[in-house]
Amino acid sequence: MQKINRNVVLALLSLTSLVFLLFQLCYYKFYLSQKVREGARWPAPSCVSLRGAMVFLSSVKQHVVRKFLGLISSHNIPVYLIDPLILGLIDKDIEQIRSSPDGPSPECKYFCAPRDFTTFALLDKTWKHEVGFFRTAEKMGFQWLKIINKDPRLDGMDDLSGMEIPLHYIFKLASHAIHLVVFYERSGNFLWHGPLRLKQHMDRKFVPFRKLHFGRYPGAYEKPELLLVSIDDLKVQIPKNPSSFLEEMSHSRFLECRYREARAFFQLYPDDASLDAVEFRKKAKSLLHLAALTLNNLGVKFWLSSGTCLGWYRQCNVIPHSKDVDLGIFIRDYKADIIPAFQNVGLPLKHKFGKVEDSLELSFQGEDDVKLDIFFFYEEDDHVWNGGTQAKSGKKFKYLFPKFTLCWTEFVELKVHVPCETLQYVEANYGPEWKVPVTTWDWKSSPFNVQDNGVWPIDEWDNVIQIY
Amino acid sequence: MDEWKPNPAVKPHKKRSWYLAWKYKLMNQRALRKLCQTGAVLFLLVTVIVNIKLILDTRRAAYEEEEESAQDYDDEMLNVEVPRHPVNNKKVLDVEVYSSRSKVYVAVDGTTVLEDEAREQGRGIHVIVLNQATGHVMAKRVFDTYSPHEDEAMVLFLNMVARGRILIFTIKDEGSFHLKETAKNVLKSLGSQVAPFLSWRDMWTFVGKKGGEVYGEKHAKSPALSTWGDPVLLKTEVHLTSVEDAECHWPDTELNRRRKRFCSKVEGYGSVCSCKDPTPIEFNPDPLKDNKVFDVPVAVIAGNRPNYLYRMLRSLLSAQGVNPQMITVFIDGYYEEPMDVVELFGLSGIQHTPISIKNARVSQHYKASLTATFNLFPDAKFAVVLEEDLDISVDFFSFLSQSIHLLEEDESLYCISAWNDQGYEHTAEDPSLLYRVETMPGLGWVLRKTLYKDELEPKWPTPEKLWDWDMWMRMPEQRKGRECIIPDISRSYHFGIVGLNMNGYFHEAYFKKHKFNTVPNVQLKNVESLRKDNYETEIHRLLGEAEVLDHSKNPCEDSFVPDTEGRVYVMFIRMEQEADFTTWTQLAKCLHIWDLDVRGNHKGLWRLFRKKNHFLVVGVPASPYSFKKPSSVTPIYMEPPAKEEGAVAVPAVAAAEQT
Repeated sequence: MQKINRNVVLALLSLTSLVFLLFQLCYYKFYLSQKVREGARWPAPSCVSLRGAMVFLSSVKQHVVRKFLGLISSHNIPVYLIDPLILGLIDKDIEQIRSSPDGPSPECKYFCAPRDFTTFALLDKTWKHEVGFFRTAEKMGFQWLKIINKDPRLDGMDDLSGMEIPLHYIFKLASHAIHLVVFYERSGNFLWHGPLRLKQHMDRKFVPFRKLHFGRYPGAYEKPELLLVSIDDLKVQIPKNPSSFLEEMSHSRFLECRYREARAFFQLYPDDASLDAVEFRKKAKSLLHLAALTLNNLGVKFWLSSGTCLGWYRQCNVIPHSKDVDLGIFIRDYKADIIPAFQNVGLPLKHKFGKVEDSLELSFQGEDDVKLDIFFFYEEDDHVWNGGTQAKSGKKFKYLFPKFTLCWTEFVELKVHVPCETLQYVEANYGPEWKVPVTTWDWKSSPFNVQDNGVWPIDEWDNVIQIY
Repeated sequence: MDEWKPNPAVKPHKKRSWYLAWKYKLMNQRALRKLCQTGAVLFLLVTVIVNIKLILDTRRAAYEEEEESAQDYDDEMLNVEVPRHPVNNKKVLDVEVYSSRSKVYVAVDGTTVLEDEAREQGRGIHVIVLNQATGHVMAKRVFDTYSPHEDEAMVLFLNMVARGRILIFTIKDEGSFHLKETAKNVLKSLGSQVAPFLSWRDMWTFVGKKGGEVYGEKHAKSPALSTWGDPVLLKTEVHLTSVEDAECHWPDTELNRRRKRFCSKVEGYGSVCSCKDPTPIEFNPDPLKDNKVFDVPVAVIAGNRPNYLYRMLRSLLSAQGVNPQMITVFIDGYYEEPMDVVELFGLSGIQHTPISIKNARVSQHYKASLTATFNLFPDAKFAVVLEEDLDISVDFFSFLSQSIHLLEEDESLYCISAWNDQGYEHTAEDPSLLYRVETMPGLGWVLRKTLYKDELEPKWPTPEKLWDWDMWMRMPEQRKGRECIIPDISRSYHFGIVGLNMNGYFHEAYFKKHKFNTVPNVQLKNVESLRKDNYETEIHRLLGEAEVLDHSKNPCEDSFVPDTEGRVYVMFIRMEQEADFTTWTQLAKCLHIWDLDVRGNHKGLWRLFRKKNHFLVVGVPASPYSFKKPSSVTPIYMEPPAKEEGAVAVPAVAAAEQT
């Protein structure tokens, strides 16, 4: 009897365990892939009924999106779709959608994919902040949340306090939410959206904020061209080229300049307001604009490096005694067209050190002695480096940096890249004392991260040391 | 989900018989049975482990999510709303009012709501309005009734205050010199016994309810012309009424909600807060056809003159073609009332922490405002710059829309200004006429972004330099020979009497009689002729057509210009070199136009109207137009008076120009 019991118990336990395991797997998959939090609380014994619920959810979703689009069109608010998941689906059929803008789609293909929310964008300047809009939304049953914060366009200004601006709106109806991201135009001809930060009194459970696609960081985007399409029987504006929008979105993170620290810096070290400084800044700015235009046209990704980066990070401006503009480019992005392109816009090559395989560095002559230095960065497993060459001795130097990713920022009315991990980057280059201005600088010995890197073989000199 | 337990009810019965058969079959195969048992145990263990791991994973994911959403999305800034005024439920207010030569103060329930002991400031009658229900300060004004016309402003103000409000008056230094009969009568009608007899350097305090009881009054007579009355201190009690009595019942609309918020806070804006027939706060002027300045940002530079700002914004928002979304009001200082005015009109306002003092403070405020404007509207090529003490002409935007392309295309232009320094009632005539001038008039003007960003902003005077921003902009280093376009009849009107470089006398002498266009939709004539080279052709044409006036007559006399209409006349004055304005200044003085410095000139030529005739003045020989002078004519020379008379109120404007 004992044996029987044991066997029975064992078998029963195995069975229940198996069932439970299946349930767990189902649930786990469901939880992680679909991210429906409520699903967890349902006593659903199998994946089948979960799916049924999801189908129900998706019809709710289309209904909510439809209502929302109706709402905004009745108030003439030009929003466009930026939901990455839906744009991803659209992108697969983009040709078909473009060719038949009015064609009815056979089924609810895009908006019905199960999800908690749908993301739209709104260009701030295209709408008036009408209170009536929100009242109508409320009448239609939407609950809404407004996220406001300081206006970054005034952040760089001494002691200006404007009204806080709306950065995000979330409209919730039943189990679906609409996330409306407000985009602002910034100097440098780009669009910016703010981070989503909840104030103390706000409802943290209003929607699962963490799952939102926008708002973890502020972002910078080009102004998109829009296209009116009809999908799932809904007319909606989308970026004309969804795939490039999605690509842009994947590295859109924006860093604001540290204006407060910059002000503190200027308190310690008053800014140089001499005519020379004003002139240099003007020239450096126009050189940077020209360089950015040229490189962007070539599609070469670059970032502010060395002194220019330090200027941005420390004082949100060009350092007047730096005397040149420094850019960094990953060697994998190198194009042979770079040199002729710069020459075409009136920036002749001044010198070229190294070669594509090793320690490449280009220097272009800007207006009146202002030099544009382009350093090419080589990626290793655990660090990146760029090279330097002393013309008269053929000595090679190596400057080591920790690995970094690129973020957008606004600098002298330009949208440019800087290393996201700027502090590590600047500290690697200038050491812990980077906050103290240094006027005498020797590129061979002053940098914190310089290393000797041997000497170019004499027979290569003609190639690796070219001075014009 | 981790509490899930197997349900005994689902235990299958069939399983049992199946199991028995199976057991029987394997009874004697101990080894196999053992193996099966071990296998089952192992399987059990594995599933249990996997299960636990899955549960932990899910829990962790969920937990992290909560954690992170809490961390990532929390604002570090704590926004604690501080109530603007302490709420008190007392029914009686203790009011203390003090009046003396050098100091005034008003305390309500022990809280000082006014204290002014600054030297050479705050002279005149201080007025405070309290809400009769809450006791909150709704308005604080000072009327320098020692100076002319300030009493009129006070009467205007007092008439605008709603019935039932509590009014507190106190005099600092002197408040009777220009306190005329009308004003005294208004004070008397409020219940003051003393007001009709207020005289030179008397001290006076008064607390009363508008249209109701008097809570107290005290007065100290000045014993002699050279001395002041003794300080007086009035202590009294004021009884509060209920909130409902103090509010109006307007229909509940978005506009009225703004109105209500405004009217519960401030006083002195007249019919905006009238219960019966409130004046509109939305104007919806006609849009302009083909409006070229619809997207041009408008920066309104303001200080703490909220009633000026109110008047200014009303006229601005009534101008045809205005785009309220492009308007930003920049307030120098953290003043509440100007911000209330901005919010009343639904505009956006930005406050600026004052930097430096006097002129430099204004100058820093201008810089911050301009920079912010171009930051907020990065697409803009221009910005319209206005000040809070300007009336804006109904065709202001139409005027700019017709002329702005010149600023874009003609490099030799510095600005477009709505103000003609020499455009007085008797010297301006033609609303469709434009001039090019070498001076920068300001007072409603358009700034090109490139000029600001590339030239002005980088070298803007630093806070320690006590310069006027406009004087600085007029300096040759900045202007670099470029000119501004101005209309003959100004599109703005400078009504400010109180200001840094402004007082009643000065305003009366130089601004009051300024001509201001009130005709809508004026079609400007021959705008293309304002381009650099075209303008020379135009001037030559004009001079060719002009009749030379009789130079033997006195140019100050009216008879100097014949009694005609619509003719063009020219006169020649002596002007030895480019900077010799001796005769011009004397001429300007006797013509009663701007004579404090040289304005409105173009290559030694001035254009204005006299008796409805176009009147040209050419400086000989400095002006390139001198060749038009017939050889028989001797340029008029007017000698400056031997000694400058000690003018009472020549402002810093004149002095600063010398530098």
